[in-house]
Amino acid sequence: MEHEDPLNGDSTHRTCKKPKFSSKFISESEIRDEFSHHQPRVARINNGSYGSCPSSVLAAQRQWQLQFLRQPDAFYFNTLRNGITESRKIIKDLINAEQVEEVSLVDNATTAAAIVLQQIGRRFAEGKFQKNDAILVLHCAFLAVKKAIQAYVTRAGGSVIEVRLPFPVNSEEEIISEFQNSIEKGKSNGRKIRLAIIDHITSMPSVVIPVRELVRICRLEGIEQVFVDGAHAIGSVKVDVKEVGADFYVSNLHKWFFCPPSVAFLYCKSNVSSDVHHPIVSHEYGNGLPVESAWIGNRDYSSQLVVPAVLEFVNRFEGGIDGIMKRNHDEVVKMGKMLAESWGTNLGAPPKMCAAMMMVALPSRLCVNSEEDAVRLRSHLRDYYEVEVPILYQVLKDGEKGVRDKDGLITGYARISHQVYNTLEDYEKFRDAINRLVEDGKNCQMLWVE
Amino acid sequence: MASSLHTQTNTNTNAMNGTSASAAPAPAPADPNSHLSKKPRLLTPPQPLPITPSGILSEFSHHDPSIARINNGSFGCCPSSVISAQQQLQLQWLQQPDHFYFNQLQSRILQSRNIIKDLINADHVDEVSIVDNATTAAAIVLQQIAWGFAEGRFHPGDAAVMLHYAYGAVKKSVEAYITRAGGYVIEVPLPFPVNSVDEIVQEFKKALERGKQNGRRVRLAVIDHVTSMPSVAIPVKELVRICREEGVDQIFVDAAHGIGCVDVDMKEIGADFYTSNLHKWFFCPPSVAFLYCRRSTSNSDLHHPVVSHEYGNGLAIESAWIGTRDYSAQLVVPKVLEFINRFEGGIDGIKKRNHEAVVEMGEMLIKAWGTHLGCPPEMCSSMVMVGLPACLGISSDQDALKLRTYLRDKYCVEVPIYYRAPKDGEVGPVTGYARVSYQVYNKVDDYFKFRDAINQLVHNAFNCESLPN
Repeated sequence: MEHEDPLNGDSTHRTCKKPKFSSKFISESEIRDEFSHHQPRVARINNGSYGSCPSSVLAAQRQWQLQFLRQPDAFYFNTLRNGITESRKIIKDLINAEQVEEVSLVDNATTAAAIVLQQIGRRFAEGKFQKNDAILVLHCAFLAVKKAIQAYVTRAGGSVIEVRLPFPVNSEEEIISEFQNSIEKGKSNGRKIRLAIIDHITSMPSVVIPVRELVRICRLEGIEQVFVDGAHAIGSVKVDVKEVGADFYVSNLHKWFFCPPSVAFLYCKSNVSSDVHHPIVSHEYGNGLPVESAWIGNRDYSSQLVVPAVLEFVNRFEGGIDGIMKRNHDEVVKMGKMLAESWGTNLGAPPKMCAAMMMVALPSRLCVNSEEDAVRLRSHLRDYYEVEVPILYQVLKDGEKGVRDKDGLITGYARISHQVYNTLEDYEKFRDAINRLVEDGKNCQMLWVE
Repeated sequence: MASSLHTQTNTNTNAMNGTSASAAPAPAPADPNSHLSKKPRLLTPPQPLPITPSGILSEFSHHDPSIARINNGSFGCCPSSVISAQQQLQLQWLQQPDHFYFNQLQSRILQSRNIIKDLINADHVDEVSIVDNATTAAAIVLQQIAWGFAEGRFHPGDAAVMLHYAYGAVKKSVEAYITRAGGYVIEVPLPFPVNSVDEIVQEFKKALERGKQNGRRVRLAVIDHVTSMPSVAIPVKELVRICREEGVDQIFVDAAHGIGCVDVDMKEIGADFYTSNLHKWFFCPPSVAFLYCRRSTSNSDLHHPVVSHEYGNGLAIESAWIGTRDYSAQLVVPKVLEFINRFEGGIDGIKKRNHEAVVEMGEMLIKAWGTHLGCPPEMCSSMVMVGLPACLGISSDQDALKLRTYLRDKYCVEVPIYYRAPKDGEVGPVTGYARVSYQVYNKVDDYFKFRDAINQLVHNAFNCESLPN
């Protein structure tokens, strides 16, 4: 059944029973209510890591959970699969996929990476790929993805080409040319590149990558499969899988699309090999990835079932998800600039290469000189200033001059996020915390943590 | 109505001392308060209050009251107090996920693992990993076998042995990871109905011999502790011993129905790998299971198939973070233990009473229908296979499923039906068995309802043929 315009309501969805006559947009106080379960005093400017979920969606989730507990057999036989199919259809439309068969729901991008890489690993094991055939990945790819490469590709005899993108970065051209160079170097000794993994929005440091262009380059260079890791994408940038043109595309719905933990979609273009399987094998093995993924043993599938309720939620905002994306972007840019100005530092990327997250350089006087320093600073900010924000330690590449502020070399960046629940005070709190640390002459090595 | 059905609650002093004071060789914690001291900064009551019949009713008041829910085996159950505890944990995560991730999650998972370690008599907490369900555990164990073939440590044709009645998902997993990698799979046919443990042992021995033919090595034996359909308790200790004698490399016991249903003692059973769901018979919410991996086995090569940051740090650590998701079901184990210890004899008491009650109900049903049980009482756990009248005409798996649906929709009885193909020469055989479960929330009326539904079908000359597709 196609999903109706949620403003007209859809009585088959067991979502919260809000009155359907209202076409007013959600108000500020309603937004506060929806996120009233967030810890009040914390400046929560890290939506990127774990996302957020409004109360009305949590309530819808709870209804699904109780329905299962009430009579699980009836739920399993009569309700579950239809509910998952419903969610998949909504996502298919959101991402402009051709067919719902191309859309599978999995726990998270980490699971999707295992699925894609396991099939690569099998091809090495079964002799379809030669030893030393390569896969290509960004140097700053999410650590879990790199570990999955180790587990499934390196272990099976494949080699890895890492593309080191510049950061701070000034333009998309810098990324494109570095990517192109890496492919040429990678192929230079006659190696075949079997898979390219490209982040749509890198995690740390966070930059929006020109994926469409990079996928095009991959095709020109004869790279067989392209997997776009869009963990942060849906709900923060436009996701059009036909435009992007990759074979596989994953995005988490619990980061920027208001789903509870956890649910992600994995798009697999229809002409891609059917030898893609969920690694947790159950009754539906061989019936196609979407069907396999819809039953991987007894567990709580409720987060996959609330997508209709989430759509209702986002459509209470002016412009729906597009409006939310635009306002998040505008605000995070504004806040980033405010912080950089106050601290006398810079932004890590130009606004057009940011979505709802931004890298803001920290004053060099804080002396973020290692990963440990970055972790210390983050913990200190959490424990003593009630600010939640991830910190990056940015190593300089050989030969790079680096960026400086008035006191020295910049090596630390904060990744700030903006989501609908954030307020100006959150960023002012962060601004003031850093200024205070600098005024007090504190650097990372001196910081207490709990 | 037998008195065993009324002994779920406790009025004497045994429960006040916590777990069973009897001499039963229980895997229950020696000190019922041991788990309480590991709780991080939580307010805990000094001693769980004994539960009353109305307490039980209230703990399961979210179950659909119109249904005779006699299928605890499929999806288990979870009491309200545990659901509330789980919701609290979910809320804590949502309130400040970063803080929860950095400061709470790992220590709470470790706490759950320690409780399980004590319950199952494992040597070391490193041997205990928590995963979603037995299906996941199977993928973990089988994937390392696949690597054995891929990396040339095993040779094409090396065998894996499993029961014919192995769970469908496990069979698929064996296909995906072993057959595909070049392994040769042997299924052990088991008789059903079955009359004695010895019948099973003999078939298993024969299958192992076949496995070793032509100089093949048997790399893995997958043995159910309690088969799913049809449900029979398997003499795992004996079968593990035979496997060791016959030089089977690794033994994996699939005890999806294990903990809370049969005795689960890792040292007694002696397998290399053992998995059990905690959401079936151990009152956890969906879903959580443990996978035990004996340390002395050379199995540092086990990995969770969903690879994340902790890859290479040991299965238990890997499994404790497989990306952002809701881990709350893994964190309520302490609360579940509190619930269980409100019953006389703790989990052992519950197990014993469930077994006695389900056998009693099974015998009541076969008497009413003129049929028989699928196995002797000592081979039943908390589930029993009850023969259905032959005149119902169950003649295929589809019939069994259709009858199950019919019973749900028309009679509000939830019970899975097993189709048992007749053997040559059998006259008027019983071809359908209901797998009847008993759990603490069940009442005699549930089974009367089922009895009466079948009697009515027989009375109306019902036949499965008449059911639509």
